[in-house]
Amino acid sequence: MTPVPEITNQIRRLRFENGEISQQTLADRAGVTRQTILAIEANKYSPSLALAFRIARAFNRTVEEVFQFAPSPDGS
Amino acid sequence: MNRVQKMAWWTLTWAGIAFVSSGIAMTVMYFIKGFPAAYAGSAFLGLFGLAGLSPILFKKDPGRVGCDERDRLINHRAALAAFTTSYLVMGMACMIPFFVMGPNANISIIWGPLIFMAGGITCFVVHSVAILIQYGSDSRQETNA
Repeated sequence: MTPVPEITNQIRRLRFENGEISQQTLADRAGVTRQTILAIEANKYSPSLALAFRIARAFNRTVEEVFQFAPSPDGS
Repeated sequence: MNRVQKMAWWTLTWAGIAFVSSGIAMTVMYFIKGFPAAYAGSAFLGLFGLAGLSPILFKKDPGRVGCDERDRLINHRAALAAFTTSYLVMGMACMIPFFVMGPNANISIIWGPLIFMAGGITCFVVHSVAILIQYGSDSRQETNA
């Protein structure tokens, strides 16, 4: 069974709300590869704190507006 | 597919070519001349050295970010898997003869460099496989940009 990701994000929604910017454009702004943006959007990779800040700044948002912490049901 | 994936595929391709060609050569020579002449067929393993051309063939794109924190994490995990597997292979290669043949048996000195080569090839192959596995699931979605 696929585990529920603890860190979720709003990157895809924010990309479209900010002029439908492409993954490549966001990657260039955040200083990472497009594959990394793709992996983060798909909740397959949790970025470092520094990268989370860079992505949030690329959208002029706070980190918590872009990334959400969803603890597992057992509270761990 | 990024530069690291291309380099991994290049390495695996030459590993496959080297193993298959040396296997065929040893088989053919075994039926023609038998052992030990057939061991000469293993010289085709040298083709694996062409895997070392990958940094020259797949150059970094100067205009874009070529490697970020996720790439470094993937490479770190792949290296860990590669060195662990290599250590196990070399450990088994040293210990199995000890337990099978006993502490007073003798083996040819040629096994020294052969074990070293097996450890090296294992390291490169496992590193490439681990890289491709870790990137694998993402590459299927690359058209979703």
